[in-house]
Amino acid sequence: MSVRGGLDPQAGSSRTGTRRIDFGRRVLVVRHRGIAIRLDWRSLVVCSVLVLAVAGLAVLALMTGSYQLSPAEVVSALTGGTGGLVRDIVVEWRLPRVLAALVFGAALGVSGALFQSTMRNPLADPYIIGFSQGAYTGALVVILLVNGTYWQLSGGALLGGTVTAIAVYVLAYRRGVQGFRLIVVGIGISAMLASLNTWLILKADLDEAMAAATWGAGSLNGVSSGQVAFGGVCIAVLLVLAALASRPMRQLELGDDAAAAQGVRVTATRLGLIVLGVALTAAVTAASGPIAFISLLAPQIGRRLVRSAGIVLAPAALVGALLCLAADYLAQHVAPTPLPVGIVTVVLGGGYLGWLLIIEARRRL
Amino acid sequence: MNTTPQRRRGAALTAAILSVALVLTACGSADNGAGTTGDKAAETRTIKAGNGDIKVPASPQRVVTIGNTDLPFIDMGGKPVGVTEVAESDLALLPEDQRATFQQATKLGQEVDLEKVASLKPDLILVQIPDDEFKKIEQQLGKIAPTAYWGLDTEWKALAEALADAGNVKDALTKQKSDFEGRVAKMKQTYADAIANTKFVNLDRYASSDPGTYVIGDIGCVEIAQDDIGFNFPKAAAGADPLAYTNLPFEQLAELSKYDVITYPADAQGKATEVFAPVVETNTWKALPSVQAGKSLGVFCPGNNSYGAVLRYLESLDKALATLPAKK
Amino acid sequence: MTDLALRRPAGPGTRKVSGPRRRLIGLTVALVVLAALLVASMMIGSTAIAPTVVWDALFHPANDIDHFAIRDFRLPRTVVGLVVGVALGLSGALIQALTRNPLADPGILGLDAGATFAVTVAVGLLGIREIQGYMWFAFAGTLLVTLVVLVLGSTRRGQSPVMMVLAGLCVGSVLHGAGSALELTNPDAFDAMRSWNAGTIVSRPLELLWPTLPFFAIAFVLVFLVAGPLNAMALGDDLAASQGVRLVRTRILAILALTLLAGGATAIAGPIGFVGLMVPHVARWIVGPDQRWIFAYSALLAPILLLASDILGRVVMRPAEIPVGIVTAFVGAPVLIALVRQKKASGL
Repeated sequence: MSVRGGLDPQAGSSRTGTRRIDFGRRVLVVRHRGIAIRLDWRSLVVCSVLVLAVAGLAVLALMTGSYQLSPAEVVSALTGGTGGLVRDIVVEWRLPRVLAALVFGAALGVSGALFQSTMRNPLADPYIIGFSQGAYTGALVVILLVNGTYWQLSGGALLGGTVTAIAVYVLAYRRGVQGFRLIVVGIGISAMLASLNTWLILKADLDEAMAAATWGAGSLNGVSSGQVAFGGVCIAVLLVLAALASRPMRQLELGDDAAAAQGVRVTATRLGLIVLGVALTAAVTAASGPIAFISLLAPQIGRRLVRSAGIVLAPAALVGALLCLAADYLAQHVAPTPLPVGIVTVVLGGGYLGWLLIIEARRRL
Repeated sequence: MNTTPQRRRGAALTAAILSVALVLTACGSADNGAGTTGDKAAETRTIKAGNGDIKVPASPQRVVTIGNTDLPFIDMGGKPVGVTEVAESDLALLPEDQRATFQQATKLGQEVDLEKVASLKPDLILVQIPDDEFKKIEQQLGKIAPTAYWGLDTEWKALAEALADAGNVKDALTKQKSDFEGRVAKMKQTYADAIANTKFVNLDRYASSDPGTYVIGDIGCVEIAQDDIGFNFPKAAAGADPLAYTNLPFEQLAELSKYDVITYPADAQGKATEVFAPVVETNTWKALPSVQAGKSLGVFCPGNNSYGAVLRYLESLDKALATLPAKK
Repeated sequence: MTDLALRRPAGPGTRKVSGPRRRLIGLTVALVVLAALLVASMMIGSTAIAPTVVWDALFHPANDIDHFAIRDFRLPRTVVGLVVGVALGLSGALIQALTRNPLADPGILGLDAGATFAVTVAVGLLGIREIQGYMWFAFAGTLLVTLVVLVLGSTRRGQSPVMMVLAGLCVGSVLHGAGSALELTNPDAFDAMRSWNAGTIVSRPLELLWPTLPFFAIAFVLVFLVAGPLNAMALGDDLAASQGVRLVRTRILAILALTLLAGGATAIAGPIGFVGLMVPHVARWIVGPDQRWIFAYSALLAPILLLASDILGRVVMRPAEIPVGIVTAFVGAPVLIALVRQKKASGL
């Protein structure tokens, strides 16, 4: 994997206005009923490899756990050959978790891609506009004050996050929304909510506070098959919408003026993309708590893998799924004691960014 | 009458909330893959639990305790094969033999690991955790072994009864109960005058308390002194939050002049606990009339949800009260 | 008389640089406000104590319970609030000057995360429960993170502010994750840490403050040394270099001062957010781009914000109190948002 174009190559390419995607690369064009789909060979190969990697890791995750099972038992449980406890363990306990990691990871990857593209900033992710702190506040209120059920927890998180995101957007709105102002208002609101959250945690019973903090770290624990199914359907719909939005997104990456010249309604489109990004993150956060860094890293890794100038959605989704699955595997089976997946993603994400930084520093010498 | 220890400093429950991570000592058991419980547990009986009538083995051999059930069960001589994690600070309060029993049932991390529970092959699971937490794992636990559950609002005496019944340790309980009742009756008699005429106040401080604050403790061990023996301690109005929920700044210590006797948390030797020490070190504390008159008592509270722990608390309280200067 | 000059708002868009006289008047006003707050902080609390008693407690101390309350509780928290406030304000001004980013605060370099992680290790693994013990961990954690950030953020041409911020983000994330892992697997540590996380200036006896004063003193000297060069660097490295500013030396000294200030403040009070971010921002808004004035104003406005927040925290839930670290964000964030909605402020 090569690191090209520095940490913020989109900014450079958008300013020069080149679309490198059409330059000197093998492209496969599929035409059907007047719709032309242009497929990049490199992207195709990369995505195929990613799909294989995800599938392999998923099988490994199904086979691993404290209850020892042989591969044959896993296979027969999956195909319905075995019943009883073994079937329950594989199909009802392990499978939802693996699926959740897959689906949520993909959603986070795409969500981050939408944000980074909209903000033209490789460090933008939905958490920046206060969504995660807001969701955490909502969850804390449900866990600590209402003593609610798991579904209520999802609802509270969703409500808290959404209200916060809207508040940030409205407060940042002043004859249009400017990326920088949005980020600053997001920082301000997040800081207030973070204080409130610290206070709520401080005032709660220890046991409840720890449960809340685990949720706040981002955990796939206790994600039920019902939630995975529900979240999966929501996310699937949102992913289709995101795919449809990829063209205006690409135009926005060229800069507001250039996009407007091509007939894109800049503010409306940006709002649409942000809403889509927030919705994807929201679906994940509601079920598992805020899992950090995947939305930040997946688009960047994906972009580097397919060597495209802008953010591309499909690799971002696949890398997101891979990252989430791998992080959960590490958190469950490699860490000395089981940890919330979000802790692993934070450490790995921070480490990866640091590594990029060192590479970058070397390259610039 | 919720006697659930609201802040069982580092409670056993903690782990359970997040999870149910249980440990196993049984290794390498041959797996027949069918998930049958075998035919050892032939004899069964039915007990009443918070989640209904549960059919349990007549004499359970491999008990797993989840949440608040662990220490009470061990206190009655139970030897669980799997336990949820308990904070180091709580373990330190246990008698040597109970701690050893706890350590023998290897424990691990904080997140739910039902597979670990399953691989222990328990014949009985005893649970006391918050309702919504239990709902999440109820079905899964039920598939592993008979699961008896009690909500957090179960009073400690009732919980002890139920656990003794389910875990087949009733003899130990009967002995503990008669010790407890004897002690309470004796203290009522010895301190009849103090019960009638002395205004007590119990102070506390938690590891998570804001620095420079204390609370008027009305939850925990003091409830025994208050409700079972009848000492006059301040109590929150019915329906209101316990007084212990409000952190009071040290400045407010001056207000304590109106009480005759102050009790505060101490270790088994009567020295103020590490967490409470900052209060005792203030000049305001030292200037309080009751403190100067030797009427501030450090009392050891090793837990308030099992007879054994409560007995040790009463013993410490008895010893402390005996040091009070005779009252005219 | 001077009313007009004071009230005239800095017009948006036009970067109106106020004259030295106006800035001096402003500085005097800030001093007066600060003095008033110091007095108020001695008088206001969970129990009302008459000003005469406060006076007696300070100057004719007796063996009286009210006197103890003043001398043991209110005096230390007022002094600590003053010192920590000045340190936070200056450290914020330093980091903003250094990164040329009006939205930077010491937390952006991962310093808070370093301090918190070190305290988590002290509390969780080593079982240290007394502030006297773990405050030095906080200090050491800050220093270590600064070192790592400096190394990671350096290129052969010197330190790049952008790289340092990114390095701070990485180091901060990794330490945050590792700290959470420690906390979530150790209920005792979690319990102790949640009160530290709130950030407070209560129950810090003055004996706790004395050993940190030499560090603050060194930092103040350093601030005086680098204020001028930082001013020149605001116009760009090349221009500053052509004026004879030694870039690397200035940056390293500034970072050293920043670390001592932020590390010392966090060691005493725990993580108090927002003061370091907001105050220099507001100072810049009042006095324009001159770093020396920004430093002077930050050093006064920050303790004003901190003490005002602390007093507010004592009265809103009387007799209970809210830790100052929680109140500052609620006081600070609305101001920040109002500022950023001003076109001029956000463009800086």
